[in-house]
Amino acid sequence: MALLDVADIETYYGESHVLEGVSLSVERGDVVALMGRNGVGKTTTLRSILQLTPPRSGSVTYDGTDLVGRRTHEVAEMGVGWIPEDRRIFSQLSVAENLRVSVPDGDDVAEALSIAFETFPILEQRRDQAAGTLSGGQQQMLALGRGLVGDNDLLLVDEPSEGLAPQIVADVADALAAAASETTMLLVEQNLPLALDLADRFYVLDNGRVVDEGDADAVSADDDRLRRYLSA
Amino acid sequence: MTLVLELVQQALLQVGFVDGLAEFVRPSTFAEVVLRGLSKAAIYVMIAAGLTLIFGLLGVLNFAHGALTMIGAYLGGLVMVLTVAQGTGPWARLALFFVAMAVVFGLLSALGGSIEVSLIRPLYDRPPIYQILLTFGVTLVLEELARIVVGFYGLQPLAEWQAALGTIPAFLETSQSLGPVSVRGLALFEILLGALTVAAIWGFLTRTRYGLFIRAGSEDSEMAEALGIDVRRVFTVVFALGAGVAGVAGTLLMWDPVWGASVPLAAESLLPAFVVVIIGGLGTFRGTVAGGLIVGLVDATTTWWFQNVVVEWTWLPEVAIFMILVVALIVRPQGIYGVEEVGGH
Repeated sequence: MALLDVADIETYYGESHVLEGVSLSVERGDVVALMGRNGVGKTTTLRSILQLTPPRSGSVTYDGTDLVGRRTHEVAEMGVGWIPEDRRIFSQLSVAENLRVSVPDGDDVAEALSIAFETFPILEQRRDQAAGTLSGGQQQMLALGRGLVGDNDLLLVDEPSEGLAPQIVADVADALAAAASETTMLLVEQNLPLALDLADRFYVLDNGRVVDEGDADAVSADDDRLRRYLSA
Repeated sequence: MTLVLELVQQALLQVGFVDGLAEFVRPSTFAEVVLRGLSKAAIYVMIAAGLTLIFGLLGVLNFAHGALTMIGAYLGGLVMVLTVAQGTGPWARLALFFVAMAVVFGLLSALGGSIEVSLIRPLYDRPPIYQILLTFGVTLVLEELARIVVGFYGLQPLAEWQAALGTIPAFLETSQSLGPVSVRGLALFEILLGALTVAAIWGFLTRTRYGLFIRAGSEDSEMAEALGIDVRRVFTVVFALGAGVAGVAGTLLMWDPVWGASVPLAAESLLPAFVVVIIGGLGTFRGTVAGGLIVGLVDATTTWWFQNVVVEWTWLPEVAIFMILVVALIVRPQGIYGVEEVGGH
């Protein structure tokens, strides 16, 4: 049984029909890349899984439990973590406080924070600094670190390399690879080499529909099959 | 030009400005004014603290906040009037005051939590005007209820409740000497209680896990929810806490002859609270403390000047408070510590 099974979801923003019957599945331990041009519904798919923008029809099953109708914090408590596109760190909280917010009740906070600090040593150096004063790359590391300390079984990662310098992208890729060895991941990423390097499988979205899917090993970043949909 | 300066000089002499300035800068006078300002600041911060906590997290301008303060004043007064007898000593009265404060905090928190769950929660997805109208409606209902109940028991709703005022311990009612400075005991008590309230709220927000959730939710409630925080429950807790603190402030005002327990206290306490949170920055607690200090000190200073130098016209200091608001809105509309956008659901 897949850890995450999204079946035929239809999601709207008001009257705007964004997802038109999206289906995908993520096996436990896999990294699945969700690709497509801007505005095709990738972020909305993640929001629908989290129930931030609940689908009007279809089902989202996580570890055998239907998520539709549940509240987002319940989904998070079940072990679904979210690293959003625009980082959305709490800028007025310190680095350590941003990480502490993500540690589930009952977990050892110091131990959880050490996971993030081992992956991103710069965060430990700046643990008492207001998160809003970090550089863009450091903020992305903090957003990833928040996902790592959350004791999540599934991470929904949205455009982690967007707007970052190449050297920082390399650090982020290393962190994602480390996280991928520990957890299951659904990765939205427009950087095709990065996405295909990490992913076991991929889905391509176009106009709110899944138009292609397959094994990541079977395609390359300059494959005509992907270029058709991604302008890669 | 010289003629204008001479006219200004004559006018200042006529109102006794120079003599007044000489008196004002005397250390004992200045210290008294500062202490009075701090006691006013303590009251303003206590009233405004709940208002700013609620706006910071929920994005709701709670127009019922003043009514909750008024209910707190009456309930606190009720506890005191029922428990204090003729022979009750001053320290026993003080202890009973803290009991009254705890009772009021509990009852007002429960009332605030109920208002949030039953009335405000269904309106979070609506434009802010719905919440403003609703809380304004709650104010009207609470004021009318208070008017009916107070009238039923033969009390004058527009005048301060004298029996409650009479439960104050003697050492708070009389002036206390601090070296050359003479200050009413109640003013010192208000400063102490205000400082304790600020410390308690500050400690709760910065030292507890729930406080961390509140600060995170104030910045980005959707992200906080996605990290596993039940933001809806945090909203209820914060509204309850804000209402409880409003009630505690009311309990203190019950003893203050300038305020007292009366139905108009609802509006009288709401207006300066809004001024304080706007000057400090809507939704920031440290801004509320800073705004309270500014308003309190300006209030005390202008009160002294108008009463001792210019003319005894007691509502002029209130005009000064609103002048600060006007200046603040022109110079720094987001307030001292304000950010462009807070709260939200």
